[in-house]
Amino acid sequence: MLLANNISFYRNNNIIFKDVSLALPPQKIINITGANGIGKTTLLKILTHVLIPKKGDIFWNGKNIKKNLFNYYKDVTFVMDKQTSNINLSVIENIFFWKKLFSSIISKKEIDAILDLLSLDNYRNTPINYLSNGEIKKLELTRLVIERKKLWMLDEPYIGLDIETINLLNETFINHTKSGGMIIFSSHYVPDIPNIENLQLENYAQR
Amino acid sequence: MHSVNSILALFYRELKISYRNFSDILSILMFFLLGILIFVFSIGPNTEIFNEIGIGVIWTLILLSNNLSLRKFYQNDFNDGSIILLHMSGLSYELIVLIKIMIIWIFLQLPFFIIIPLAAILLNIELPNVNLILISFLIGSPILTSIASISGSMNLLNQRNFAIGSVIIMILSIPIIIFSVGIINASEEIVRAQLQILIGILFFFLAVTPWVSAACIKLAIQNK
Amino acid sequence: MLTPLIILSVIALTTGLVFAFYLSPNDYQQGSTVRIMYVHVPSAWLALLTFFIMTVYSIIGLAFKTPFSFIVNAAVAPIGATFTLICLITGSLWGKPMWGTWWVWDARLTSVAILFMLYLIIIFLKNSFTNDSLGEKITAIFIIVGSINLPIIKFSVDWWNTLHQPASISKLSSSSIDPSMMRPLIIMTIAFTLIALIIAIIRIKAEISERKLKN
Repeated sequence: MLLANNISFYRNNNIIFKDVSLALPPQKIINITGANGIGKTTLLKILTHVLIPKKGDIFWNGKNIKKNLFNYYKDVTFVMDKQTSNINLSVIENIFFWKKLFSSIISKKEIDAILDLLSLDNYRNTPINYLSNGEIKKLELTRLVIERKKLWMLDEPYIGLDIETINLLNETFINHTKSGGMIIFSSHYVPDIPNIENLQLENYAQR
Repeated sequence: MHSVNSILALFYRELKISYRNFSDILSILMFFLLGILIFVFSIGPNTEIFNEIGIGVIWTLILLSNNLSLRKFYQNDFNDGSIILLHMSGLSYELIVLIKIMIIWIFLQLPFFIIIPLAAILLNIELPNVNLILISFLIGSPILTSIASISGSMNLLNQRNFAIGSVIIMILSIPIIIFSVGIINASEEIVRAQLQILIGILFFFLAVTPWVSAACIKLAIQNK
Repeated sequence: MLTPLIILSVIALTTGLVFAFYLSPNDYQQGSTVRIMYVHVPSAWLALLTFFIMTVYSIIGLAFKTPFSFIVNAAVAPIGATFTLICLITGSLWGKPMWGTWWVWDARLTSVAILFMLYLIIIFLKNSFTNDSLGEKITAIFIIVGSINLPIIKFSVDWWNTLHQPASISKLSSSSIDPSMMRPLIIMTIAFTLIALIIAIIRIKAEISERKLKN
């Protein structure tokens, strides 16, 4: 269960948002919405302790993430708006790197299945720079399945994806929550998933 | 929590990337050799002068070649967000810095053990002196890589002043060149003393660099 | 706050200059050119003092996140740089009648030249970041790294000097100075410190106002 209490974030003494609180228990999905620049990415970065809020605390399973950081990270996958796959490596090399980096137990068969599902199978051994942006984004999303963590945080996951992949992603989200996971993401696009809680950042922002 | 898997994963990835970008390493070696060439052109092929200044020229060019590795450390991983990914896999920033320094030392400094004797031949430097250069290079090169790491981490978000990173590397490298060049043509005790000082500086930088570089990387991440 | 300081510094400066030019003796070796020392040495002292102050405030600023520390750093760095430059120029002017050249690679001058470059790097580094708060923190880290390296650099330059230069030139840096020369030296040092303090206070006030404007 992820709990955020009264998060306030300042940049150069200007308030970005104030007193944001949220609770993310298992099987729940939260969608952070808001206009461009309102602070959605900032909030996600605060929730993953990449940025430090001026005020407020974040708790994972009852413990403050500040004091428990690496234990918290063991349960979080953060898919950012940037693509972390390395241009010097091929698709499969990036996947194997992530597998080893996160000590994942995903099997070769499962990896083949995902690549097939995402239509990346033909590009197994292609270096990343030959793929389109959408395909690179799809590769980045495989991290969710490779890392196999409980809490999924995604920054604008739907941008650049084709309809097939969007449906696939929604399906994956639903399956993840069914098996006890939780998801929080930021998006302008309202996905076709039932029971999503909406966190409108406008309510907390000072603009 | 540092799982051995994560450390090895990063190590192998960096090895693979460096190996695939081998032309970068060769370019740095070419920079060094061209620098020697430029010195020869500017001074004239007078071999007596080379006996006096050859070693200094070699060390100066080692220092200048070190500047080229500035952006190689963290810039790409910082720009594409992988450095945050690496942190979230359980590796502390200090450990990431250490692994990066090791890889860059292996690929960008180790080849110099072959190139320095080559340069010594071009400059007609005697064999016993070459051994001394290689010994001081063995101790001094990790220091140079550490200095480049510090400057590289400081300049992650520097988008206005492109030269200052190299300037920082050069000013921090002054003690290394003084003690490294000084062990040539010196008496036994002085050589020993200078090598000990170099080793002292090495331990100091090895202790301080991961902490300083990690602090600068964290600052850059928080202020993007 | 400034007026008593200004009065004090005027008194100190006048006394110092009077002593320096009239009431102190000529050096038996150098004649009256030794009087440059009364500007050269206080500048050197101030250059080092400023660096020390910046180091202390950098540590405080990074450890306790007090914005005032970074304000002091920004205000005081150009002052230190100026005094280092004065030290270099007066050293060079002193050197011409002494050694016949405008520049000589003696340990002290070389170290001061390196110190000057450190100051310039600090000033340039701070201005090369679009994000000001990041710039001041990175500069503070560099000041700490630089200050630890400063004794190493000074030591290595001294070492290099003893290997390459005969001992006769370092006679100038000997601390066995006659008390009749020591007195004006101390007075001039106090005068310079007071002047630097006044400029620092003015610059700190200006820096605070500038930051208030920016926000």
